[in-house]
Amino acid sequence: MTDIAQWSQEAEALAEAVIAKYPQKRSALMPLLYIAVREDGYLTESGMRRVAALVDLEPAQVSSVATFYSMYKRQPVGKYLVSVCTSISCWLLGGDEVLEAVESAAGVPAGATDESGVVSPEHVECIGACGGAPAVQVNYELIEGLTPQKATELVEWLNAAQPETLNGDEMQALFGGQRSFDWAIHETDSATGPYPAFQPHGTVAPQGRS
Amino acid sequence: MSDAPESVKITINGVEIEAPAGEMLIKVAEEHGTYIPRFCWHPRMKPVGLCRMCLVEVETPRGVVLVPSCVQPVADGMIVETASPVALKAQEGVLEFLLVNHPLDCPVCDRGGECPLQDQVMSYGPGESRFVEEKRHYEKPVPISDLVLLDRERCILCARCVRFSDEISGDPLIEFQGRGNTTEIFTFPNEPFASYFSGNTVQICPVGALTAAPYRFRARPWDLQTIESTSPFHTEGSRITVHASQNQVMRFLGVDNGPTNQGWLSDKERFGFEFIGSPGRLRTPMIRENGELREASWGEALIFVAERLKEIIERSGPDAVGAIGGAQGTNEDAYALSKFMRAAVGTNNLDAQLDDGLNPDFLVGVGSRARIDDLETANTILVWSADLKEENPILYLRVRRAAQELGATLIVVHPARTGLDDVAAHKFGYRPGDGSDLLADLAAGKDGFAAARDALQEGPLVVIVGRTGLAESGGLAEAVASFAGDLPGVSIMPIVRRANTFGALDMGVAPSLLPGRIPARGAEAPLVELWGAIPVSRGLDTVGMLAGLRSGELKALIMVGADPVRDVASGSRAAEAIGAAEFTVAFDLFLTDSAAMADVVLPAEGFAEKEGTVTNLEGRVQKVNRIVPGPGQARPDWSILDGIAEAMGSPIGLQSAETIAKEIATVATAYEGITWDLLEWEAREGAVVPHGDAQQPLEYVAVNAEQPQQTKGLGLHLARTLYDDGSAMRHSLSLAKLAPGMSAGLSPDHAADLGVEAGNQVTVSIGNVSFTCPVRIDPSLSNRTVAIPFNQPGIETLDAAAPISVVAGGPS
Ligand code: SF4
Ligand code: FES
Ligand code: FES
Repeated sequence: MTDIAQWSQEAEALAEAVIAKYPQKRSALMPLLYIAVREDGYLTESGMRRVAALVDLEPAQVSSVATFYSMYKRQPVGKYLVSVCTSISCWLLGGDEVLEAVESAAGVPAGATDESGVVSPEHVECIGACGGAPAVQVNYELIEGLTPQKATELVEWLNAAQPETLNGDEMQALFGGQRSFDWAIHETDSATGPYPAFQPHGTVAPQGRS
Repeated sequence: MSDAPESVKITINGVEIEAPAGEMLIKVAEEHGTYIPRFCWHPRMKPVGLCRMCLVEVETPRGVVLVPSCVQPVADGMIVETASPVALKAQEGVLEFLLVNHPLDCPVCDRGGECPLQDQVMSYGPGESRFVEEKRHYEKPVPISDLVLLDRERCILCARCVRFSDEISGDPLIEFQGRGNTTEIFTFPNEPFASYFSGNTVQICPVGALTAAPYRFRARPWDLQTIESTSPFHTEGSRITVHASQNQVMRFLGVDNGPTNQGWLSDKERFGFEFIGSPGRLRTPMIRENGELREASWGEALIFVAERLKEIIERSGPDAVGAIGGAQGTNEDAYALSKFMRAAVGTNNLDAQLDDGLNPDFLVGVGSRARIDDLETANTILVWSADLKEENPILYLRVRRAAQELGATLIVVHPARTGLDDVAAHKFGYRPGDGSDLLADLAAGKDGFAAARDALQEGPLVVIVGRTGLAESGGLAEAVASFAGDLPGVSIMPIVRRANTFGALDMGVAPSLLPGRIPARGAEAPLVELWGAIPVSRGLDTVGMLAGLRSGELKALIMVGADPVRDVASGSRAAEAIGAAEFTVAFDLFLTDSAAMADVVLPAEGFAEKEGTVTNLEGRVQKVNRIVPGPGQARPDWSILDGIAEAMGSPIGLQSAETIAKEIATVATAYEGITWDLLEWEAREGAVVPHGDAQQPLEYVAVNAEQPQQTKGLGLHLARTLYDDGSAMRHSLSLAKLAPGMSAGLSPDHAADLGVEAGNQVTVSIGNVSFTCPVRIDPSLSNRTVAIPFNQPGIETLDAAAPISVVAGGPS
């Protein structure tokens, strides 16, 4: 039970590059946790041990940080994490209804994962898209201005198409409505799993694929 | 900050006081008699301002504001109100908040009656709570180690335990987990709070969230009698309070003595108290008859011993008698042993060290001896000794603090990984036996040693030297000290591990020493008047005595709290020696492996059962006190020795520990002026010898100390662990199970050569002892060194000098 995760060579190389960026190893803790999530699909105990060994901390210190943040999932989640904002702006414009629509389309309540392991609905606090409320993220890719109807279609699409990568702008075009900033720069990075797409973590799909 | 005034004037509750700039307000106020309530603030740890209990009103240019006084440095002109209506309301509010989730189960809580939360709620809290909702619930106490239990419902999240483990002991195994209302203190799953210092968190936890398994539900604070004393474990001489109820010692707590332990204790010294009340304690004298030990009266036993000794002395001369031990008792007991052997028997055959120590002249006579406090001002520290974490844990904490908090450059030299490696600027390993080569390289500043060599030139420098393991000669430590002696601003601290070794040597329990650091041949007036002529023979040390017994040259052995069979680096040879003796007598607390072979076994009083003094590794003399009676008919060592001398017709005239203390102050030059009164009333931190104007007659001169020993083949690193199979450990139930057991430490390459990994079994043969044990991988080891822990349960002690071999796998 005290095993240390064996990571892919790619993950080890990414970790090394991340650590090299900081004057102190322990500063690399948070990015490394994402690499651990990418490796195992969620943050496992053995993954935290691997991170602890890499940055010369005790596992207890690593889990202290990991448990503080809700984005480090310590339980398996489905292929698609659908995060519905229910903070004030979104709530005023129907965030609760969007969440209900997502839950009923997925067939499971927020915090759970459907039987086939595809969709995990959750509700989250403000995701900084108040101007485009109600807002939703799928694998941390943003879609703004959803309606319950569009949210249902979104989940159905996820289930039917099961895309390998997800891109916010593309989903926005399919299911979104009102946006915070119509002039926002087109985002080509696509998410590859239920964790944020970020080049240094190796969690970005090659450009153009979606 | 640099142009800040040295001292500032501030006003606390209308009274103007002066304080050093930058000092925290809570501390300044306390030093001037104003107590501000607090939970997270601890004077030995960095302030964090977490609990908000210490809110006070401070006038600022923005008006009067509430500030947490534990993170508020004092500044000139500051006006502070600690008990204004607003401050009181704030403190009341904080307490009401803290109690929102507190279970108030004080009647079943170990802390009840001495709980800072309870006390401060009584003094500063609201009478009632407005909180009617459900409190948080957690599984009630969860064991987080073999010694400590955690009750998260009681925790007020002050982080004292977390900060202690991180800042002070360097093993951060408990941490905050989670966030917001579900924040809790916990360990990582399946990683117990296995720290050598975990008990300190129990002592400083301001509530009953952390409790100690050995004390749980055993006593209420108001039923305890308490006395201050000095820890019977480790040579650092930690100050403790001993708590007893109904003649049973219930616990030890650490006392903050600035020059030594600063409030902290190792778990061994905190929980080792259990041996005192152990049912295994000897209660009656016993004499061997027809091969069996039978109970006897003191009168019979003393006369029996006296007659046997007298008869041997008459037949074979006084040098046919020897004594081993004396390092586990008080200075008064050691003095009695020294006097008994010299004046009543007439020999210099006595030794407090059991073949695991250093040259006694070096230990007590080294020039420019360091004090522990020198670490606070040291620029550079060289530790070339045993792993301090295992053998001198309080010194370990102090060195760690110097390197980590005070910025000293730490150089560690040791054949294996040590507890200080993570804070060391330089770490050098070597194969045991090759130490003098490494010393030469370091002295010459060879490749890879240049930076360390330069650091050694940057005094003040403290050099801690001792034996790195039992398989290495003590001469190396002397060679290191003699090299270091020429470095600028150096002070030297030679160390050994057995509790009162320094006291026993200071009392002359060594062939070459007389009480007060007088060389055996240098006895002068007051001593000679009291003792008579001092024997002139050269005297044997422990190794010499055991060899003498085997060869028949030595006929009788007195063992005073010593267990050579378990303690010397070749137990079977020690057993052989005891078996060969014509007559052996053991004074002990327990029927140890050695005592079980003796002809007469006499029950001795131990720690907390007798009064006296002890001397720590820097020469600090401190008082130990009595709080419980000894078991059965147990007597203190000095009284047993006095009784034997009396029965031999050569009385040594000892009346009580207190009169012995006076005699020591008269005859032992370095101890002049050290009285019990002085220690009890004036020198509360202890008195360092040589005391005041007193002289230390012995001047140790290094004599070409190290003879390089070349090991061929595998080198053996035989090192002690904090928990082992020693007799105090065996009889402290909570600690007995903590001995790590046998293992073989191998370098990664060596393991690869053997085709084994961590946890695989190997068979180790040392001389004619073979055992199978799991592999530990230690990258600090040289490729041809095997590290073996000494004195583990179930394995006889090993011959450090014998050849060693390791093969993969178990017995075929
Ligand atoms: S367990 Fe005790 S010391 Fe640790 S945070 Fe909780 S209250 Fe503070
Ligand atoms: S409230 Fe939903 S994004 Fe800000
Ligand atoms: S004592 Fe000051 S905030 Fe805790």
